[in-house]
Amino acid sequence: MEQIFFFIFAVVAVGSAVAVVAFRNPVHSAISLMVCFFQVAALFILLRSPFLAAAQLFIYVGAVMVLFLFVVMVLDLGRASFDEPVFHRRIWGIVVVLGLFAEVVYLTLKGEPSHIKGPYVDGAMMNNTEVMGTLLYTKYIYPFEIVSILLLLALVGAIALTMNSKGE
Amino acid sequence: MPEMATILEVLFIIFKVVVVTMILFSLPLPLTWMERKIAAHIQVRLGPFRVGPHGVLQPFADMMKLMFKEDIIPYKADKRLFRIAPIISMVPVLAAFAVVPFGNDITIPFLNEEVSLYIADMDVAILYILAITGIGVYGIIFGGWASNSKYALLGGIRSTAQMISYELPMSLAAIGVVMITNSLSLVNIVNAQQGWHWNIIYQPLGFFIFFIASLAEINRIPFDLPEDEGTLAAGYHVEYSAMRFSFFMLTEYVAMVLASVLAVLLFFGGWNGPGFLPSIVWFVVKVSVFIYFFMWIRFTLPRYRYDQLMTIGWKILLPLSLFNVLITGFFLI
Amino acid sequence: MSDGYILEKRKESAVETFFNRIFFIDFIKGLSLTLKYNLSRSITLRYPDEEKWIPYKRFRGQHTLNRDEYGRELCVGCELCAKSCPTDCITVIPMEDSAGRGIADRVARVWEVNLTRCMFCGLCEDACPTEALKLGREYELSCFSLSNAVMDKDRILIAGQGEPLDLEATGAEPKGWMKVSLDSIDYITPLDFKKGDRVPANYEGGVNAAASLERTEDGIRVVPDLSKTKKWW
Ligand code: SF4
Ligand code: SF4
Repeated sequence: MEQIFFFIFAVVAVGSAVAVVAFRNPVHSAISLMVCFFQVAALFILLRSPFLAAAQLFIYVGAVMVLFLFVVMVLDLGRASFDEPVFHRRIWGIVVVLGLFAEVVYLTLKGEPSHIKGPYVDGAMMNNTEVMGTLLYTKYIYPFEIVSILLLLALVGAIALTMNSKGE
Repeated sequence: MPEMATILEVLFIIFKVVVVTMILFSLPLPLTWMERKIAAHIQVRLGPFRVGPHGVLQPFADMMKLMFKEDIIPYKADKRLFRIAPIISMVPVLAAFAVVPFGNDITIPFLNEEVSLYIADMDVAILYILAITGIGVYGIIFGGWASNSKYALLGGIRSTAQMISYELPMSLAAIGVVMITNSLSLVNIVNAQQGWHWNIIYQPLGFFIFFIASLAEINRIPFDLPEDEGTLAAGYHVEYSAMRFSFFMLTEYVAMVLASVLAVLLFFGGWNGPGFLPSIVWFVVKVSVFIYFFMWIRFTLPRYRYDQLMTIGWKILLPLSLFNVLITGFFLI
Repeated sequence: MSDGYILEKRKESAVETFFNRIFFIDFIKGLSLTLKYNLSRSITLRYPDEEKWIPYKRFRGQHTLNRDEYGRELCVGCELCAKSCPTDCITVIPMEDSAGRGIADRVARVWEVNLTRCMFCGLCEDACPTEALKLGREYELSCFSLSNAVMDKDRILIAGQGEPLDLEATGAEPKGWMKVSLDSIDYITPLDFKKGDRVPANYEGGVNAAASLERTEDGIRVVPDLSKTKKWW
């Protein structure tokens, strides 16, 4: 049963991810990306972490994608902006893609594949949020704080950029 | 072969889903009537009076009209997106009701079976509701964009900005409640408020922020800029007609119900109340009061300007809600 | 503002403004105002289905030509109304008639008012020396054809109340110029009203009567039932 759901979500996720690149219209790409995020959220539920699923929906679908769409709609990106030449774009692109692919292959071969971790409504599932919070604030406190500081920096940076562009 | 009990349970869940969906789909009928009557009486008019006694059948007449109207799709519209946009806006609000508890468990008389009055009790129910309602905005954005019309597009853009700005204070206000009751599950939150320990007493500031932000989230006056008649004709649904338009309307009403339900569950003790009435009745009464309040506000206040909307969201509500979280934390420690 | 007519708004102190903002004072004021309206009685009527407004006596609606207590036409065809009308919408053509149809030897052969031009100013009514002309209480003037908007004598002369006087037989003196007060027309108590009765000239008015919508050949009429009235305001 779960296998079937997994395959549905996975196929749609991959398909929509391909569609993001394949569509010419930026709004359509954005929609595909949103569908992809959605499927990933569903996969998180299959992995017994409803908190992550909700956060995925909340942050990526609910906020990030909305901002994407906002920008796309306001700027009305034409074809021209996609053809903007970047220095050796193709070569660097291929390098990055190959690197990522290698990483995925390595992780799949070496890593522990996720497996079924028990029925849905047991205690572990219900305490998912608690477990997660405890881990974040004890074992992973440093990465967590570093990410927070990075985000804060980005925030301040964004404000600084807009302040400068006013020419004041 | 699964056992009898499992089958029965599945059947109950399906039954509950069907019932809740039916109720949600038919809710706009009484609500539109109520809204028009309240509007009329606040403006010292009578309101609908011709179809049925006191116009109660007016919504049915409207429904018939909408069903038989021509479904116009603009020539230059993005047709596929235009078609699905109303559905995209409708599904999330309906889906949000999957985790909404309506009352204490009840026992069915003949089957002797305990039935819970919610479809699912999730560990992350609040987060789920806040997340899934955030998706509803896509219906508005896509509807506005796909119409290929200036007004609709502007409505879509406004609603994006508005949703993003008000989702934050709304969630942060809900966090105050979560901190007090120590759970993200709506059932636990309501149970923690038993015996008049309603969260409104401990979280008045949180409630105000939540209420104002939810007004903005459901696009009601004074924050209904995405469909501002004065400047945008009808905003994102200006090109829609017939049933597609009515889906947008349905979404709006169900979203209003959802906002009332959330306010009741989080701050007003859910279905808790003096024992002489069944829990679900208390729940319905409280929610109705909130719905009336939403309508009452609509016909009292004027609409904010766009820059005022942004100022309220980012410069007042967001700091206040952070402050609220901070204060709550201090008290808990 | 030394003339004393404009009340100066009291300046709020900063503290007051602060508290007003914090406790949403203005918001609550607004809400209580609308709540008051919500609970108050609405001022619209269920016209034309169930109710109809019967105007006061002073109302200036559709013209009527009146008769005296013997049923004689009061209009003497003097054309003063036509002369005084600012929009020139009354046409009067007089004729001789000594048969006792009117109160004098002269009656109007043609008396027409074009309601499309009339602005219901009432100057014609004021000019009329015999009080024959009165702007009545009929205000449902829409019609299917423009020619219907020209009201002729047949349509606005009120129905006779009583036999025309046979002057020869009774030997009564014709009264000549006289002022007939409208109150001399039979007074009918409200209880006697039947549905469809024309609103009598001396009826006080200012009430909201039960009414029904009726379709006739000439158009749609809302017929008030004066036995069921409610005082309004
Ligand atoms: S009411 Fe005035 S406008 Fe109308 S007919 Fe009389 S004088 Fe003329
Ligand atoms: S209605 Fe009066 S003013 Fe007009 S013609 Fe007759 S008597 Fe003269």
